[in-house]
Amino acid sequence: MSKPEPASMYASAKKIYPREIGGRFDKLSKLATITLLGLFYLVPWLLWDDRQAILFDLPARKFYLLGLTLWPQDFPFLAMLLMILAFSLFFFTALAGRLWCGFACPQTVWTEAFIWMEQFTEGTRSQRMKLDKAPWSFTKLRKKGSKQFLWISFSMWTGFTFIGYFTPIRQLGVDIVTLNVAGWTLFWGLFYGFATYGNAGYMREQVCKYMCPYARFQSAMFDKDTLIISYDEKRGEPRGGRKRSVDAKAAGLGDCIDCQLCVQVCPTGIDIREGLQYECIACAACIDACDSIMDKMNYPRGLVRFTTEHAIQHEGTRVLRPRVYIYAMLLVIMIAGLVTAMASRTPVILDVIRDRNSLYRELPEDFIENIYTLKIINQSNDARVFSLSINGMQGAVLDGVGDSVPVEGGGVLSLPVRVKARREDARGVNTILFRIEAMDDASVVIEEDSRFIGPTR
Amino acid sequence: MISEEYRGAKQWSRNKQAAFTVVWISFLSAAVATMVFFAIFDPADLAHLIDSNLRLSPDLGYAVGFFFFWVFCALCSGLTAFLVRTAPKRDKKHRNQ
Repeated sequence: MSKPEPASMYASAKKIYPREIGGRFDKLSKLATITLLGLFYLVPWLLWDDRQAILFDLPARKFYLLGLTLWPQDFPFLAMLLMILAFSLFFFTALAGRLWCGFACPQTVWTEAFIWMEQFTEGTRSQRMKLDKAPWSFTKLRKKGSKQFLWISFSMWTGFTFIGYFTPIRQLGVDIVTLNVAGWTLFWGLFYGFATYGNAGYMREQVCKYMCPYARFQSAMFDKDTLIISYDEKRGEPRGGRKRSVDAKAAGLGDCIDCQLCVQVCPTGIDIREGLQYECIACAACIDACDSIMDKMNYPRGLVRFTTEHAIQHEGTRVLRPRVYIYAMLLVIMIAGLVTAMASRTPVILDVIRDRNSLYRELPEDFIENIYTLKIINQSNDARVFSLSINGMQGAVLDGVGDSVPVEGGGVLSLPVRVKARREDARGVNTILFRIEAMDDASVVIEEDSRFIGPTR
Repeated sequence: MISEEYRGAKQWSRNKQAAFTVVWISFLSAAVATMVFFAIFDPADLAHLIDSNLRLSPDLGYAVGFFFFWVFCALCSGLTAFLVRTAPKRDKKHRNQ
């Protein structure tokens, strides 16, 4: 009998040393880590038409996504995209549990990479535990030092890459080599690098346990048909050690040999045999561990496996259920909405600002004049010529502006415009419509209204 | 025994939990708030509003905005956490209501 534990909240902090384990899910998770990290570090270096393929150019307030240029005015698209991502998360959670946590979450992915570096420099689990207990020596200093060197360089590179999504990364690379990085750029790079170092090197599973909101509310998307990692209690119990030659049934034992391997490999330090716990990030390391033991014992695999609560209770399990349909339907509607909205986006924006200094000006020959500033934003990447016209007000004419206005690709043009009308047509406050149309594409057309103010009499 | 070293493994104290949660959640909220806010307002325009002679580099504008939101959100969630954690406990008589 072990002594009852003191209240756990005051227990001294103990470090978790996850044990390395090979297997199907380990391969899958390595593949996910390499793919996702590879994408993160590579993508900023990709080019598209001589400019960075993905760049959030904050100073210029433009987002380049492949061939697309998004402006602050397109923010609703970004919001919609984030909502779609959130609902995808709900959908996959309902279907397959915490796949996100185990294989795709940056916290998991970077932690994995940091553990590789730890294993490379400090060795296996038992070697690491021994090293931490050992007094300081040259060997310990060398091992710890090289781990820190790898961790810190990797973190700095991560921070540098992160900044590369916001500052042209090729120029940034040159700036770093010549020690010429601008103050704020350097700050954010170090900030992100330090966050990576702390989160993936030290905080690890604590982030999932204490700081992650998703870990707490994902249970709301769970039901008894959601895929979870589960220990087959009926098959495993009563657990106990035995020799390979012993017939478990005759000895009154279940299939669990109580080797503790599933506990040792767990990066969050839980015992999956105690049932589903919110700390479980579904990394499936315990499945690999248990399968390897089952193989050694010549027992069938799957004592710990991906399954559903219904299946483990030997009741039928249904993958396609209302919850899944509803999430899928919402997802399809939102994606269709986003695609339609993006496709029908007019790549030009027109702002009309009335001159604030004067209501109107009286011209000779009984004409009244109003002054406006038109702001024309050409959101396409190519230079365009627009035709400018006004309507909606009888007798109003453009004065002194040619009717063709060239605007460079991705450019903003401020165009002062005078409009005049006869006094009898311009009494009081009138609504006037400005209309611009691309000369090369009649579908690129936009109208903005404004006021034309004249004397009341 | 292997399991011994894991029982009660690495638990954060309640204060540490609260502190890190507040910092992290306010960080996330501030990131979203910064995104929405600066999608609508250009820091250069805002600087002009405050003082027409004020020249603000966009980098500084975004950084100030972000830290402003972070401090504000941290204040909000910190106070919430503090009040929830220090609320008077309900006495036994009413505990099951």
